[in-house]
Amino acid sequence: MTETNSANTAPAQNDRVVRHTLIDRLYHWLMALAVLTLMGTAFLPILGIKFEWITVHWMSGILLAVLVLIHILRAMIWQDWRHMMIWPSDIRDIWRGFVCLFSSTAALPAKPGKYNPLQKLYHLGSAVFVLAIVGTGLVMLLKIDTPFWRRNPYVLSNDTWGWIYALHGLGAMVMITMIIIHVYFALRPDEFYLTKSMFRGWISRKEHQQHHDPEQWRG
Amino acid sequence: MFRYSKSIYGGQEQLIGASWDLIPWFAAAGVAFVVIHLIAAAMSRSGKRVRH
Repeated sequence: MTETNSANTAPAQNDRVVRHTLIDRLYHWLMALAVLTLMGTAFLPILGIKFEWITVHWMSGILLAVLVLIHILRAMIWQDWRHMMIWPSDIRDIWRGFVCLFSSTAALPAKPGKYNPLQKLYHLGSAVFVLAIVGTGLVMLLKIDTPFWRRNPYVLSNDTWGWIYALHGLGAMVMITMIIIHVYFALRPDEFYLTKSMFRGWISRKEHQQHHDPEQWRG
Repeated sequence: MFRYSKSIYGGQEQLIGASWDLIPWFAAAGVAFVVIHLIAAAMSRSGKRVRH
């Protein structure tokens, strides 16, 4: 398709359904930047690429903590957090989707609202691990000198520090798995309309009708 | 699964963090998920029905 054709077939303003407002897209991409920087500064030195990583790591960690806090407040106060909750009907639809792999006569899962059940499950998993990493990371700041505070590692016992480091490291390694899964879905052709919406903010009315239940997500 | 250190003066081993030997396993888990999902999606496509 040429660029001209593409422009001609782009939906008109009233044929667009807003999926992610500018602030949510900014949050998503800043979070991606922070997470990738954190993972690069954490794992590259372990893999043998040595550089002065600690300053970039803790600063990116602070950025991530602030972004997560803003996201939680925004989701609770200004957004409809129920879109992301896992309801009994979501569990039913995950099961139906699984059964449908093996049976052509089984009941199909219903069309989802704004997010499908597996996206909600992924969000829940990400939330648990990111909160664990951010929480332990903030405590670990007590171990380094910064322009804002002096290190004081003696507030916790060696055993407690061991568990904090272990939890932080395990959570970070889980994020490797999570990012692979996230990028895979972002690149899948059947999910690519959602990836595009994370750049431009909207999906077409046709995509909305095709993939979503308008009763659950009016758009 | 974990890294431990032992004091040069002896005594108990001390937990110091998660084992970085697990990094390839977590990466492999992500790749395994992708492969399993590709297979499941192909199975699903072969018997595709329309949702209402």
